[in-house]
Amino acid sequence: MASAQELSDFLSRVEQRAFKQAVYAVRDDDAALDIVQDAMIKLAEKYGDRPAAELPLVFTRILQNRIHDWFRRQKVRNTWVTLFSNMGKKSDENDDFDPLESLSAPDDSEIHQDGAHKLERSQLLQALESEISKLPARQREAFLMRYWDELSITDTAKAMSCSEGSVKTHCSRATQALAKALKLKGITL
Amino acid sequence: MNRAEDLLNPTQADQFGQASAALLSQGSQALPASIKDRLYAARMKALSVRKAEKVWIRKPVLATSSGNWSFGSRSTWDTLGWVAPLVVLVFGLIGIAQWQEDSRINDIAEVDAALLSDDVPPDAYADSGFMGFLKNGGIADSSSNSSSSIQSK
Repeated sequence: MASAQELSDFLSRVEQRAFKQAVYAVRDDDAALDIVQDAMIKLAEKYGDRPAAELPLVFTRILQNRIHDWFRRQKVRNTWVTLFSNMGKKSDENDDFDPLESLSAPDDSEIHQDGAHKLERSQLLQALESEISKLPARQREAFLMRYWDELSITDTAKAMSCSEGSVKTHCSRATQALAKALKLKGITL
Repeated sequence: MNRAEDLLNPTQADQFGQASAALLSQGSQALPASIKDRLYAARMKALSVRKAEKVWIRKPVLATSSGNWSFGSRSTWDTLGWVAPLVVLVFGLIGIAQWQEDSRINDIAEVDAALLSDDVPPDAYADSGFMGFLKNGGIADSSSNSSSSIQSK
């Protein structure tokens, strides 16, 4: 059974990663913060007495469910908004959405402090995050769970409620797409 | 369509994934302070509603020839907690039944007393001739008839 300290340590370890994953999915910092907070509360409230070893998988699953719930709510809200306002008007701003615009540019002062290497890493990260945001949702989930959360294929399949074969396929496609996109920008990891 | 030379083999794909994860981890450490503060607040809120651990308490138990008895145990009070209202309920129901029975007996006694203390005996009500006598005018009519017959004589 995870103690309060173990739970606290676990949450402090994963909270920033969870936030970034939510941002990649929903592209909104405030919404991502709400999602992460909900996921953390649900984990503590419902699964706080689980063994510490089970927490990563449970938390990943809760986080993904929360992200899916957010998209469902958005879909319903957009439906009503479309019905009741601007019936014939097209939402051009959504069509022109550029993921690059949603990413905050690092401060210049911070970049100059550590020199060219940090600038290069920052640009690399920005390009990678941009391409991850463009991935289809399932591919992005599989890629992040497998490599960033370091879940096994079996655990990833459980968290995504799909077969292990599907996880391998999603992960492979995500990796190939990312490598190809970065290569087009002249980046190799 | 992907060309063959563009595709990564499984080893290269794993290396690419791990390199990406390392880069993303570095990036996640450099979040703005406001975001970190809000994440900290969210964590504290989550910990405050953490599911409580089950605590098992050992109770002192006295072993006697007739069985075990635990002093100051919660189970005795717990048992009393549901037995006492049940006993009160049963006694209450018995009291209500008794009161209703007494009330019914009193009503019957009042009716009996009224019948017995009346001028007409109770058996008269069961007599069909008496009922006919009442329908035909009763005592007043019979007395007027008798006086007229006397005058005619």
